Amino acid sequence: MENIAEKNIDTRPIKVEVKNLTKSFGDLLVLDNLNFNIRQNEFVCVVGPTGCGKTTFLNCLTRILEPTSGDLLINGESADPKKHNLSFVFQEPSIFPWATVEKNIACGLEVKRVPKDEIERRVDRILDLMGLRDVRKAYPKDLSVSTAQRVIIGRSFAMQPDLLLMDEPYGQMDIKMRYYLEDEVIRLWKELGSTVVFITHNIEEAVYLAERVLILSNKPAGIKEEVIIDLPHPRDITDPKFIEYRNYITDQIKWW
Amino acid sequence: MFTANKKKSILYRLLMMVLSVSSVILLLAAYRAVALANPLLLPSFDQIGERFVKLFTTPIKGVPLTAHVIASLRRVLIAMGFAWVLGILFGFSIGWSRTLNAIFGTIFELFRPIPPIAWIPIVIMWFGVGEFPKELIVFIGSVIPVVVNTRSGVMYVEKQYTDVARAFGASRFQMLKEVVLPSAIPSIFAGLRTSVSTGWTVVLAAEMLAADRGVGALVMRGWMGNDMALVLISISVIAIIGAILSFTLIKLEKVVCPWMH
Amino acid sequence: MDALKKCLEVEHISKTFYNNKGYFTAIDDVSFDVHEGEFLVLLGPGHCGKTVLLNILAGLEEKSGGRVLYKGQEINGVNEEMSMVFQLLSLMPFKTVMENVELPLKFRGMDKKQRREVAQHYIDLVGLTGFENAYPHQLSGGMKQRVGIARAYSVHPEILIMDEPFGQLDAQTRYLMQQEILRIWQEEKRTVIFVTNNIEEACYLGDRIILLSSCPATVKEIFDMSALAKPRDIVSREFLEIRSKISDQTDLSM
Repeated sequence: MENIAEKNIDTRPIKVEVKNLTKSFGDLLVLDNLNFNIRQNEFVCVVGPTGCGKTTFLNCLTRILEPTSGDLLINGESADPKKHNLSFVFQEPSIFPWATVEKNIACGLEVKRVPKDEIERRVDRILDLMGLRDVRKAYPKDLSVSTAQRVIIGRSFAMQPDLLLMDEPYGQMDIKMRYYLEDEVIRLWKELGSTVVFITHNIEEAVYLAERVLILSNKPAGIKEEVIIDLPHPRDITDPKFIEYRNYITDQIKWW
Repeated sequence: MFTANKKKSILYRLLMMVLSVSSVILLLAAYRAVALANPLLLPSFDQIGERFVKLFTTPIKGVPLTAHVIASLRRVLIAMGFAWVLGILFGFSIGWSRTLNAIFGTIFELFRPIPPIAWIPIVIMWFGVGEFPKELIVFIGSVIPVVVNTRSGVMYVEKQYTDVARAFGASRFQMLKEVVLPSAIPSIFAGLRTSVSTGWTVVLAAEMLAADRGVGALVMRGWMGNDMALVLISISVIAIIGAILSFTLIKLEKVVCPWMH
Repeated sequence: MDALKKCLEVEHISKTFYNNKGYFTAIDDVSFDVHEGEFLVLLGPGHCGKTVLLNILAGLEEKSGGRVLYKGQEINGVNEEMSMVFQLLSLMPFKTVMENVELPLKFRGMDKKQRREVAQHYIDLVGLTGFENAYPHQLSGGMKQRVGIARAYSVHPEILIMDEPFGQLDAQTRYLMQQEILRIWQEEKRTVIFVTNNIEEACYLGDRIILLSSCPATVKEIFDMSALAKPRDIVSREFLEIRSKISDQTDLSM
């Protein structure tokens, strides 16, 4: 599968560099020397077996945990939440119950002291792109779980982050809803040009979304392989090439 | 770099330890400074030490410190024993049965907001100043949190648990014994913890008003005799015993509820 | 074929709730049969009345209309022939694995020695041997759900009702548990009514799939899956085709 990459050489500049990222807790090595780059506007999915250290991986990327060694560089500089714009979407919707939909989308921008008219412009754009205009004044209590999660996703994209990390945001949704949300996230990503790292357990989802899939190996987690998914969006899950990718990645993980 | 990460480092933990120890030392030093500057306001450490020894050599009201502590503890334990047993039973009844709640729940709600200490005059007028009235006041104070917490523990058993029991055909009694009682235990323990601190507070108040034995009486005696060292010693004893009581209860809870983390 | 014997007949069930916002119909005239020994999947999107429907079958909820027949007899309320695996794991946190599994037997008055034996059998069956004395909080999500399955099996029910049992699990554990539930079902055949909102899971498990609409729940279509032999290959052409077909018919519930 590797030679597919050579057909389409990616010329986008490198946005994020992960260099020799290693994390151990005492004697327990959890992340073993991870190295990879993410290009500007790239959509990368990360898959791996259950319990492979995915959470630690994520926490090192979000800098909740300090790596034992190695570093995460954004635009060539060591990542710093004060300087760089990192944004996260977690599995459980982290919506603020006391704020309306539009306030929820705007709140990250307000923290970053984006000018008022700019905030308005971005929030409007997100509301339009996601078809949330009708509920802009609604409070989270009146939203379904899936809509709440969409608001959070909207908030993250509104930030126009240097790096957007999504940790299984659609884990609990039914397939129909997932298709819808997956198409939506692709639309947002294409329209707004963000750099996305999307972590999932669901291989079909990874193949459906990603330009490139990083496969983590079992503990201690390392990058086992990178697979470039050379299929145009929107993708068809019954397409034999799609199935070929899905089977290949499944075999690489072999969790049972 | 990132404040969150520093929590992990040994240096950070060491620093925190040094800070907490030195804050206590600083407090003691400040005390000493004030005591030296103004001996009338605060007795010196030496005076407190001497006073402490004297509590055993020349007992107050004919008994040493230990006897006063035992007197207070006895009142609290007797009263609390009754409060726990009756409070749990009563709380359970009104939590479990809507009828009983309708009959007794409202009356309970009427009495509940009255601070236990407010009962002292009535109880003394009715029962005098013996052991029983003091125990009764402690009982009143410590039974209320037990009832409140037991009742809510029983009333608000999670529906998912009762659904399981119903789906598997549990009788009403089985539901009570197998599901409601154990799932209410954490809440009951919360009530017991509150009752210990309330009971301990109330007994001291009662003793300060009318008693010749007990830690509360010692505080009173110190105050009346302008014996600041005695007041301070009594307060320390109160704090230590209060801590021991709640610590014991936490240990007990761990034994009774092995499923809690 | 013997498998087509009707075990349960659900006739014109409806359910309307009344609250401060007015009437709300969760289930509207739902009818279907359950055949003896089959693995029947009720598939529906989002929060339509699936759980309510199951609770009505299990006797936990009153119905507003219609009736349920078990082997030709109308049943009401909790029924000894049915057993349930709950969506929220609903294990008693204050009981060990063993105590949780034997709880329904205790309710039915079985003596201690016998119920230990039965419970042990099902603990072994679901692969939890060695965890008898663990408390639920010490177990992973998949293991907890195994306890729920053992508990439901322990009463020897004719019908096992499973309410989105794997909804809270991550994708990989979910695949594993789907294989496990088929293994267990093949070892101890029961009639299973399995509720899910996951189309792939429905296609993997079901002998038949009853597709429900979004609120209020009505029967949209019934799919016969018997042509696909189990265990099914989730990336085979036939599987993906039927999955897409069902997906196209499913309502999107926002």
